[in-house]
Parts: sequence; structure tokens; C-alpha cells
Amino acid sequence: MSILDEIAQGVIEGEATKVADLTKKALDTGVPPLDIINNGLVLGMGKVGEMFKTGEMFLPEVIFSGDALYAGVGLVKPLLTDGSMPSKGTAVIGTIKGDLHDIGKNLVGMMLESSGFTVVNLGADVSPESFVQAAKDNNADIIGCSAMLTTTMILMPDVIKLLESEGLRNKVKVMIGGAPLSPEYAAKIGADSYAPDSTTAVEVANELV
Amino acid sequence: MKSQFVKSRYEANEAVQFNVLSDNQCEEIFHSAMEVLRRTGSKVYDPDSRDLLKKGGAFVDGEVVKFPSALIEWAVRTAPSRVVLCDRNGKAKLFLEGKNVYFGPGPSNNFVLDPFTGERREPTTEDTVRAAKCCDYLPNIDYAMDMGTVRNVNLTLSDVYSFEALLTNTTKPIVHWGFDIPQYQDILEMCIAVAGSLEELQKNPFIAMYSEPLPPLRHSREAIAKAVFVAEKGLPLIYTPCTMAGATTPATMAGTIVLQVAESLVGLVAAQLKREGTPFIMGGLISIMDMSSTILSYGAPELALLSAGMSNVAQYMKIPVFSTGGCTDAKTLDAQAAIQGAMSILMAAQSGASLVHDCGYIEYGSTSSTEMLVMDDEIIGMVKRIMRGVEVNDETLAVDVIDSVGPGGHFLRTQHTRNYFKKETWYPSLIDRKVYEGWRAEGNKTMGARIKEKTQMIINEHNPEKLPEATLNSIKAIIQRAEQREAAQV
Repeated sequence: MSILDEIAQGVIEGEATKVADLTKKALDTGVPPLDIINNGLVLGMGKVGEMFKTGEMFLPEVIFSGDALYAGVGLVKPLLTDGSMPSKGTAVIGTIKGDLHDIGKNLVGMMLESSGFTVVNLGADVSPESFVQAAKDNNADIIGCSAMLTTTMILMPDVIKLLESEGLRNKVKVMIGGAPLSPEYAAKIGADSYAPDSTTAVEVANELV
Repeated sequence: MKSQFVKSRYEANEAVQFNVLSDNQCEEIFHSAMEVLRRTGSKVYDPDSRDLLKKGGAFVDGEVVKFPSALIEWAVRTAPSRVVLCDRNGKAKLFLEGKNVYFGPGPSNNFVLDPFTGERREPTTEDTVRAAKCCDYLPNIDYAMDMGTVRNVNLTLSDVYSFEALLTNTTKPIVHWGFDIPQYQDILEMCIAVAGSLEELQKNPFIAMYSEPLPPLRHSREAIAKAVFVAEKGLPLIYTPCTMAGATTPATMAGTIVLQVAESLVGLVAAQLKREGTPFIMGGLISIMDMSSTILSYGAPELALLSAGMSNVAQYMKIPVFSTGGCTDAKTLDAQAAIQGAMSILMAAQSGASLVHDCGYIEYGSTSSTEMLVMDDEIIGMVKRIMRGVEVNDETLAVDVIDSVGPGGHFLRTQHTRNYFKKETWYPSLIDRKVYEGWRAEGNKTMGARIKEKTQMIINEHNPEKLPEATLNSIKAIIQRAEQREAAQV
């Protein structure tokens, strides 16, 4: 097994210390940093995503794999010249104002991060204004908006209206999710996409950027 | 917060079991069963067995045998409180003791529901092969039975042929039956061909043989003779009456259990007199007659209740029990089948019945269904999780973890969750817990459709461990001899 295979395997096993040690060893022996990321760390995480989808891996294991991924990425990143660090894009996510339900939204954040997105997690009870401001500040590609209640989901159109009035609607895609939502509701309020769960959220985000 | 001191509940709170009967009630039922056998006695149609009972101290008057209570109490004490059943390779698998519970199918149905065609038809040896494969594959089915009396062979050797199909297609322990002593001899020889010798088979038995008396209070020549035969060979014996409250026993639950226990006791005494210490498992099927349709119900709430009561009495007597669960009166694998199967399995597990049989029975036992067996396997998985209970200690109370996560945090990223989520949680293989879109993406399949797919997959793809060629040839030769014997009798 090559050292890159071992790194990928370490990510699959969710062993952060092992991945960090192997990454150091690879760097010391002159493996190109980008090679470590693409053919070791990200390759392993890709397999994790597939195994989660087929039911061979479970959520906490995926999260530990994500942490192992970032244990390696953290070591490689400083060695890359600016801009060469691969990122799929930036997503600003949060639970809409008046709603404190955030476990599902946090899951989406962790899964997006694990798959290579930069995630800005605004937490819960986030006003439409804060969503749009954060999108501006972080030069975001996506806003991910979550709601658990029918009484709070009705604020989601405000996020979209605000993006329009700020002239950002063409630049920032909006994806929504949460128990009372549906593809039909997404279409009705003019959101770009709906995802029923965190795995699908990653697929949807990949399509949007 | 956890107590500083050890409290009794920290020592003994893992039980999810319940008792239908108190120890005092069990004693009353046991005493009543002994009184029935003392006062009324039983008809025993086998002269050799009557002689055996007479020599042991029973009173014989014609065909009626009456039992002194001391003789019964001696037999109860003599029977072991635990019976261990092994797999075909001699490895101990089932420990019938305490409140351990194991599940398996049932025997000798008149029809099978074909999992490929949906047809209800007479069983063939190919169906026994299918049943054996399913038992072998399914993780929560602990032993095998034939699931149908096969009709495509010499009918007087149906039991021998179905045993061959079981023996050659699963390594799991087998519970089987036979028509009469010659067939028992054939079956025993096949077991010896696998084990190497009778002594090896006695040391690590992979078979338990059962026979059934005819309630109320009748023991046919074959039933009692077969029980005595198994005892003589020193192998595990199941004596299992099949009672119908209101018809072959009183309509009351207590009276039905009294008679059920009394029937088993006759087999127990005969077996212990033949060979002291015979591994004995008392039975068996205990339910009501539906006074509207006249069926013996395999899904009545009373089946679960009576079985639990019988199990409690068996536990009081310290004798393992052959109980019933996972069966239904439904004619097909529908919502009724799921309701009746699930309820009886849960009750059987909670009552600590040792050997629960008749998983896979539909149509009040008249028909068997491998699909029902596959569904039961999933139900048993859920029930086994419940039976593991709630483990309470410092580590599982997790106060430190709760503190480290704090208000509004989540537990998904903690090492504690990583360590425990799999151990503490049951995951389904058939029950659907996908999100709606995931379920749609896989074709909107109902539970029934998923069960059918899995059943067909097992039958088409599962390859059980094979017996060595030489053993297979010995088994074939035993069947040939049996055929010659039967031909000579015509």
C-alpha cells in the first residue's frame, strides 16, 4: 500500500492522529502537497461519501472521517501557494429566524465541509438580513437555509427578495431544507434547490456551483 | 445523579422480562397438574411404556396410568435444568437455561406458500432445502425445522427425506420429528454418520427430537415410544402437547396450563425412568379454539399469554421450555401476519421461553412461508435489542459528555457517540427508515416486496456449508436401506 493509499485508508477509518502522522511523513519524503490532498485525503473522503450512501458507514463515522481529512488538510494547506488550495465553493448556512432547530442544519454543514466546501455556519435564529450580509462578507456561492417549523419557513422568501434587491441573486444560489419543506415549496418561493437530507444536500450543492 | 452507594437496582435492573405468574401461582399450577395425574391419570397406549411407568411406581389399570406425586417430583429433580444444543460441527450454540430465548421455525405443515409463484401448494423436498437455506442464512433464526411434510417422496419416509434436506443444507441445530421408531432409527443413523459415533452425538448433540401426546390425557403408542427411544439414546427430548382452550382443555387460561403441564409430565416421567438425567424440554403449543371458525389459533393474544404462563411454570420447575411465536392465522403475508408475528415474538422473549418455534407459520399453522420466516427474523432483531435493556453505569450515564457538549451543542462529534452508537442501536435490514425521497428512489417498495426480494435472494444465492462427500454417501445409503425396509412391508 502506497503512503497515499494509507492516508486515504486513515480518512476512511476516521483516525485523525494517524492521518496527520502519515501526512507529515509524506511531506517529509517529498510527495507533492496537491498530490496528498487529491490522491490521498480527498480520495479517502470520496469513498466515505459513497459508503455512507450505501449504508456501509454511519453518520458519526463520517464525521470522524471529516475530522481526519482536516487533520491532514491543515498540515498541507500552509504549503500551498495562495489560491491553489482546492475548494468547491463557499456556503453560508443557518436556521431561519425564530427557529432553534439546528441538528439537521449542522449535519449539512459537516457534510459540505467534508466534501470540500468552505462552510460559514451562522447558527440558529438567523435573520434574512444576516444571511445576506454573511454572503456578501464571505463572497459566498450558496446560502443554505433551514427551518423545522411551518411558522418560520415563511421567512425564507425574504432571504431571496433581499438577495434580489441587493443585486446578488445571480451570484448566490439558495438551497433550502427541513422537515416541513418540499421541492414544491422551493419552486414556489424561487429557491434554486431543495435537499431532503445531508447526503443529498452535498449532491445538490455540487450541482449548484 | 448516581448514588454514591450501590443500590439493589444497580445490580439487577437489566431485565426487560416479565412474569405472567408469580411463584405461588406456578406452584398451584404444578400441584394441580400433579393432582390431575394422581386422580384422573392418563391413557398410555404403549404397553412397554406402561411397564416402564409401573416399575417406576405408577399405578396401571388397563391403559390408564396414575402417577404418585413423589414419582413426578423425582423426575422433575432428575431432569437437567439446562440443555445445550450444538451446531452440526459440534460447537455449542444454544444454551437452554435461565431466561435465554432462541427462535426457529416449525414442522410438518400441509402446505407451503411458494415465495416465487405465490402459490399455496403441497410441500416437496425442494421446499425443505429452501427452509434449511433460510434458517442457515438468517442471523436471528437459531435452529432449523422442516416447515412442511414433503409429498414428493415415499410418504412413510417423508420425515426421513426432510431430515436429509435439513442436515445437508444447514449447520444450525435441528429440531425434528418422525412417524415411528424405524424412522427415528434412520434419523439417528444419519446424525451418527455426521457426528462419528453415538457418544460424540450425546456429548455435543445437534438434534432435539420431539413427539406429541393427544390431549386431553392420551399418549399414543408412537408418541410415548418415540420419547422413550430418544431417552434411551441419551439425546435431547421435546415432549410437546398441542392444546386448544375450550376444546381439548378447559376454557380458562389456568386450567389450560394445568393440563398442558400434566401432558408434558407423563413424557418427562417415562423419559427419566428410561434414562435418568435425559435432557428434557417441555412443551409446547398452547392456544385457544376459535369458537366461530373452529381453528386452533396461531395468532390469538391468548397464545402469547398462555405460552408465557407455561414458560413461567417451566422456569419454576427448572426445565427448559418449547414455546411458540412468530406465527399467524393470516393466509398471506399481510398486516395481520405482521401484527400477530410481532406480538407473540415479543411476549415469548419477555417471558424467557427457551426454544420458541413456529416462526414462518401462516394460516393457523396449516401453511408455512419462508417469507414469514424472513419477516420474523427482522422482528426478532428488534425484540433482541429491547431484551438487551438499558445498561446503567458511569460510562452510559454520560454526565461528563453532556457537560462537555453543553446547551445547544450536539453529540455527533463526540468519541462517546462513536464508541456507543452501534452498540446501543439496532439497525434494520428490511424495515424502511429512509427519508421519503430515498424510499422513492428505490422504487416505492412495500415491506412485503422487500421481504419477497430478500427471500428469493437467500434461496437463489446462499450456499450453506457442505458435508464431506463420504458423509453424504453414508446418508444416501441409510435412505436406501429405509426404502428397502418400507418396500418389504407392503
